[in-house]
Amino acid sequence: MSVRYGMVIDLDRCTGCGTCMVACAAENNVPPAPARATARTGLTPMLVRKVSNRMEGAARREAFIPIACMQCGKDTPCVSVCPQQAVEVDKATGIVVQMPQRCLGCRYCMTACPYHARYFNWWDPAWPAGMEKSLNPGVAVRMRGVVEKCNMCPARLHSAQEKAAAAGKREIDPADYIPACAEACPTGAIQFGNLADRNDPVYSAAHSPDAFRFLARLGTEPKVYYQSREAWVKALAERDSEHATEAQHG
Amino acid sequence: MKFSRRDWLVGSAGALAGLVLTPVPWKLLSDVSIWTQNFPWIPQPAHGPVETQFSACTLCDAGCGVRVRMAAKIPVGVAGASRHPLTRGALCPLAFAAHQLNWHPRRLREVRHKGRVASWTEAQAAFQKACGEGPIGIIDGRPGRAASSVYEAFARKQHGSYPPLLSAERQALEPYAEWSQVPVASLGYDLENARTIVSFGAPLLDGWGIPGRFTRLWSERAAGAADPGLRLIQIEPSLSRTAARAWRWIPIREGSEAPLAAGVGRVLLDERRVDSRGPMPPFTLEEAAAATGLAAEAIRDLALKMVENRPVVVITAEGNPAIAALNVLLGAVGAPGGIVLKRDDAPSPAPVEPVSGPLRAVLMDSTVPWEFAASSGAEVFRFAAWDGGGSSTGWLLPAPGFLEELTDVPTPPTSARETYALAQNLVAPSTEVRGAAQFLLQIDPTLPAVEKIIQARCEQIFRARQGTVYGERSIDVAKLDSVEHFEEQLRKGAVWMGDPPKHSKFRCELKEWPGANRVGRAANWVAGWDPPVLPALATKLYRESNLREPPAGRQG
Repeated sequence: MSVRYGMVIDLDRCTGCGTCMVACAAENNVPPAPARATARTGLTPMLVRKVSNRMEGAARREAFIPIACMQCGKDTPCVSVCPQQAVEVDKATGIVVQMPQRCLGCRYCMTACPYHARYFNWWDPAWPAGMEKSLNPGVAVRMRGVVEKCNMCPARLHSAQEKAAAAGKREIDPADYIPACAEACPTGAIQFGNLADRNDPVYSAAHSPDAFRFLARLGTEPKVYYQSREAWVKALAERDSEHATEAQHG
Repeated sequence: MKFSRRDWLVGSAGALAGLVLTPVPWKLLSDVSIWTQNFPWIPQPAHGPVETQFSACTLCDAGCGVRVRMAAKIPVGVAGASRHPLTRGALCPLAFAAHQLNWHPRRLREVRHKGRVASWTEAQAAFQKACGEGPIGIIDGRPGRAASSVYEAFARKQHGSYPPLLSAERQALEPYAEWSQVPVASLGYDLENARTIVSFGAPLLDGWGIPGRFTRLWSERAAGAADPGLRLIQIEPSLSRTAARAWRWIPIREGSEAPLAAGVGRVLLDERRVDSRGPMPPFTLEEAAAATGLAAEAIRDLALKMVENRPVVVITAEGNPAIAALNVLLGAVGAPGGIVLKRDDAPSPAPVEPVSGPLRAVLMDSTVPWEFAASSGAEVFRFAAWDGGGSSTGWLLPAPGFLEELTDVPTPPTSARETYALAQNLVAPSTEVRGAAQFLLQIDPTLPAVEKIIQARCEQIFRARQGTVYGERSIDVAKLDSVEHFEEQLRKGAVWMGDPPKHSKFRCELKEWPGANRVGRAANWVAGWDPPVLPALATKLYRESNLREPPAGRQG
């Protein structure tokens, strides 16, 4: 069976609590930011952005948009610009995989990414003394000078694959592979699954009338979908998400 | 043949051009990028046998169920335990990095007295001396635990004070306790059966009560629906995270919550929208409108929306009788979907008589908020796992950190049902730490030990033969064969939840419309988070994104 992992994020359920961001960082051994870091220079493979309808007073509405790598499935911009083949689309899963050991840190991919979902490691990864003992043993720490992004928790995928292999199966049990952000979301706003499987709940969610993708006009076929019943939230889909965000990088 | 300078330059240029056509430079680039991954100062995660343990989070009084991934006996990941009947796998964002807190730079690692390093022996001698010289007080930030019984017993023997601190959520329930004579510990919110929830500034979607309990309910019954089965009305001056996701947000003037409650009460009584005839609020609708900045019609509309979709319950961030009175008027006290009894009877020993006059010394448990200041003049013995900063007077005693000691987790204040869980000491302390109860037991070995009290509580619950244990699978207590089996289940991270009380109704009457207290601002950070520090990864929320304001007075 073909597998195309993707997500459907229900923006009407997102409360902007940030649980997905912290769970992602803890799972993937992302270091805390040095004091001089900013939203632009920090490392947030999953970043929740606050957006508004730009009204004031009682008419003001706000929503929260979790943004990670959109896992572009066609003409993936970061893949086409990388001089080191440090990014590739895994044919078996559809996941756009960043390989830090090949990365030179040229940051072409960051420029090419239309979603600003890639981050550069400006500093040596550092934790307070002793805290490195609490790092996830399944994930290697990345060095300063490489680009990072969401790889959909590869350690969890490998673990599920090993479990399936040990049981003599070729396919993993879907319950064994859920990225940290989807598992942590207290409202169930982040759904993860196989977009190529018609029986998977994410398939029907991705094809619901309220589903949309950001910057779909670029034709990169992102595998992260969003849902909202709010017209003003849907209207953000075809705008540059950077401009739709208030003071994100201010 | 003469080898000229020109020949040398041409040769060098040719060699360079040729080199570029070979794999050498590319291989070098690739290798350099690999070598940089392996510098010795790059932290290496610990390796060892990986296992999963279940426990309860002890960082606030909600006691959420946690699933802890351990490698070489060290926690390397925290996630929610879906087996927990109240939180159902949800946690606050900070809990996901709680396992890193034990290595926080502000972790207390030695006894300190007025800023200088001291020893446990000195601290013990000083406390014993103080006990001999005058009355002592013991402040407990989270009453109801086994350790609390030790404090109470010690205070009783020493003729001291044991005034438990009430959290904001317990304070919010105090007016009902006063009006109904039911202890605060027996009251809770029946959110599961409510159809309209009116929040006066309570951060319901940002950690209020038991993080996860309401967010789960809201996501199942309210999120995104135009006419949801659970209506959340948020009354708050600013557009908070909860207000942004509420069914209706009512922006009012800062501090005008009590006039609004009075105005709503006035409409309900004038238009006979409620069954009960309570005392008339002191505000007219017009006066309430002027105070809140809302139109009189908007207040009337709010009042009608409150009674349109019942049961309705009003929730405040902290105790405010003027707003709590609305629940009495709406008939939400002692009724399903409102303020309910969580247990049939509340047998509690007579409280320790408060000491009149000044105290010689005050001992503070590690659950007491760092901002709490003891009465002046008393010598302070403060237990804490993390140093909250500021000038340090008295004794600062290092307490166990996250999952470093065995403790029990009694019913959270806002729960509608009784619960009991144990948080095992999964982690060996990295330094010499002592809990306040352990400290008192070393001074007075005749006090009951925490382990014994926990065993007695397990026995008490088991003998009652009611409720369910939510562990790997759910088992009715009546089907368990022994108390040892019951306790073993709890030690493995299961949670006991009692059956609903047989008599849930109780009377609650208002003689006059109460005056207002000050309404506190909703916490900018997760409500209920007690430690004076935040996990290092909290920087993702305030420094590397604009999701939250930088924490005031707390270090990430």
